[in-house]
Amino acid sequence: MKMMLGVIDATTYMEPLQNLAAHRSVAAVPFAGRYRLIDFVLSNMVNSGIESVAIFPKYQYRSLMDHLGSGKNWDLNRKRDGLFFFPSPDLPLPSSQIGAFQHFEQHIDYFLRSKQKYALICNSYTVCNIDYRLVLELHIASQCDITEVRYQGRSLEMFVLETSLLLDLIANRVQTGYNSIGDVVHNPFHSLNVCHYEHDGYVAVIDSVESYFHHSLQLLQPDVWKQLFIQSRPIYTKVKDEPPTQYTADAVVKNSMIANGCVIEGHVENCIVFRGVKIGKGAVVKNSVIMQKTQIGERCELEYVIIDKDAKVENDVKITGAEHRPFIIRKGTVQGALMNQ
Amino acid sequence: MGKKKCIAMLLAGGQGSRLNSLTKQLAKPAVPFGGKYRIIDFTLSNCTNSGIDTVGVLTQYQPLLLHSYIGIGSAWDLDRRDGGVTVLPPYSESSGVKWYEGTAHAIYQNINYIEQYDPDYVLILSGDHIYKMNYAKMLDYHIEKGADVTISVIEVPWSEASRFGIMNTNEQMEIIEFEEKPVHPKNNLASMGIYIFSWPLLREYLQIDNNNPHSSHDFGKDVIPLLLHEGKRLVAYPFKGYWKDVGTVKSLWEANMDLLNPECELNLFDHMWRIYSVNPNQPPQYIAAYASVVSSLVNEGCVIEGEVEHSVVFQGVHIQKGAVVKDCVVMPDATIGENVYMEKAIVPSALEIPAGTVIRPSMPEEIVLVTKEWLEQQRSETIEKG
Repeated sequence: MKMMLGVIDATTYMEPLQNLAAHRSVAAVPFAGRYRLIDFVLSNMVNSGIESVAIFPKYQYRSLMDHLGSGKNWDLNRKRDGLFFFPSPDLPLPSSQIGAFQHFEQHIDYFLRSKQKYALICNSYTVCNIDYRLVLELHIASQCDITEVRYQGRSLEMFVLETSLLLDLIANRVQTGYNSIGDVVHNPFHSLNVCHYEHDGYVAVIDSVESYFHHSLQLLQPDVWKQLFIQSRPIYTKVKDEPPTQYTADAVVKNSMIANGCVIEGHVENCIVFRGVKIGKGAVVKNSVIMQKTQIGERCELEYVIIDKDAKVENDVKITGAEHRPFIIRKGTVQGALMNQ
Repeated sequence: MGKKKCIAMLLAGGQGSRLNSLTKQLAKPAVPFGGKYRIIDFTLSNCTNSGIDTVGVLTQYQPLLLHSYIGIGSAWDLDRRDGGVTVLPPYSESSGVKWYEGTAHAIYQNINYIEQYDPDYVLILSGDHIYKMNYAKMLDYHIEKGADVTISVIEVPWSEASRFGIMNTNEQMEIIEFEEKPVHPKNNLASMGIYIFSWPLLREYLQIDNNNPHSSHDFGKDVIPLLLHEGKRLVAYPFKGYWKDVGTVKSLWEANMDLLNPECELNLFDHMWRIYSVNPNQPPQYIAAYASVVSSLVNEGCVIEGEVEHSVVFQGVHIQKGAVVKDCVVMPDATIGENVYMEKAIVPSALEIPAGTVIRPSMPEEIVLVTKEWLEQQRSETIEKG
């Protein structure tokens, strides 16, 4: 469907997620063993036939750019259309809502040059598997000005509108006082016809460390991951040439999601384990999220922890966090046995 | 096109008939290996890791999957503006279609491809072997020794020497005699089928060989003996490390099992010498609460609900509740039904093993290659008994 433009607002800064997003944009927070948050919305767009995607990042977007590259992994390295990257000028954004018109205006040529009749504007941190073609169908059939995707009555910050209306809203933002697409939709006094599309199926909105941890461990329920990982609508990500995961003779693994390139010598239970993780002999790791390339030493006992990427936990470390307050080991740090909590 | 110092010609047209049904619809180099790879990934990765950026891949037998797998070579970083991977199937000329009649004939037919790059050296490879090797070092050796041809050799156990092409060398590692599968081997240095030729010499001898109506146009059988006979300088390059010809069902199974041995020299986890492949992009593997996985390699996209012990499991495999998989190789997208018991078997891609099936070899040293026909036969036998 060449009818829709995809616009991903990756400018969001979230204080409650700060411990995982100190050096990366929220869109680049690792999730579900081998993905970054942005992979879900981007794959949904591609799987819905969208061939032109604009990404508007702001904070700390190095890791995001590294992850997306030319867009090849999403089949977006195209001669016509494809993936566009529009970093924010260093302006204070006047709105906390997504879809800031001021930011869009800086790159207005993209919208002017695009031939697509409709635009889809999304945030970067809503994890779900959705077919946007159905949203567009409803939008057209109901003759709406703006269609908002909702889940159980809550806005998922995904909006479909005509590109021409978007251009009007951007051009007239000073007169109307609307600074973002969110401002428009959530203002009860506007004169536009706003419709709602109710998504049914799994949704995770990642807006705090607590929700991150909760939704990560939820993925271990087969009925949850089956709703997210649908064979006909795969989630794409940057591929790494990691070998299959190796389980040694002493490995014990229960109810866990494990990515490639790991070496598991210990006991892993109710965990999400990212690519290239090493878990040493005699270590017991439960109810935790272990990000890529982290090494966990021998005989460690870890429960309710989030270990960010490239961290090293030395031998014999014991850490127990809480279900609603997981202990976080930051990216690239070394956690020694004597540094406990 | 720019001049290249050394280009590789990779012979990937082999049928691999001793792999039985595994190669019924695909060429041997495309056979899955090691939980994620295809056999040819090792040679292509060796090329890219050795800095060889121009590789001609000669295909003939069942090339569809192999061609689409290789694509433009981007998986191995061989999609280059100048050089890169070129797939070279047999082609027709005004005189008719010429199938590749032997390894030397296949190269002879592609002299035009090689000439484009005006190389000093040509590396001849086979896409049938599992090993990691730095061809750049072999090329340095070739140049240092002032050789016309350098042949990579590996020490094999004396008891197995009569299964290989054996190189008899002097103390300077010059090859003085080549014996194909000798009954009484004088040496245990086996040819690995890896040759570096100085291109002008190779070009000349390909022409001579092609003009000889009695030749079978094979490097090992015809070209190498001729060069020896004419007193050319052939030197053996001793290779140390893991190398395996996975030409039979048993050796394919053994090489997979080797990966599970912690002492194995073939380290897939070495980031300095990665083995690249076309990544399947599937979700992480899910190991259920009642599953167990030990001493195994498991790839992404798998759902493991049963017991897996000492096995290699490729992407997208589903092992259901109560199933026991021991010493097995399970190829992509296969399903192992509930309460299946299987031991020492290879399950080909996308095969479904019905619930309750028992698979084990009838003789202890055998390996079962499970096929649809085999499963049907088992079922009808059970019905007869019942």
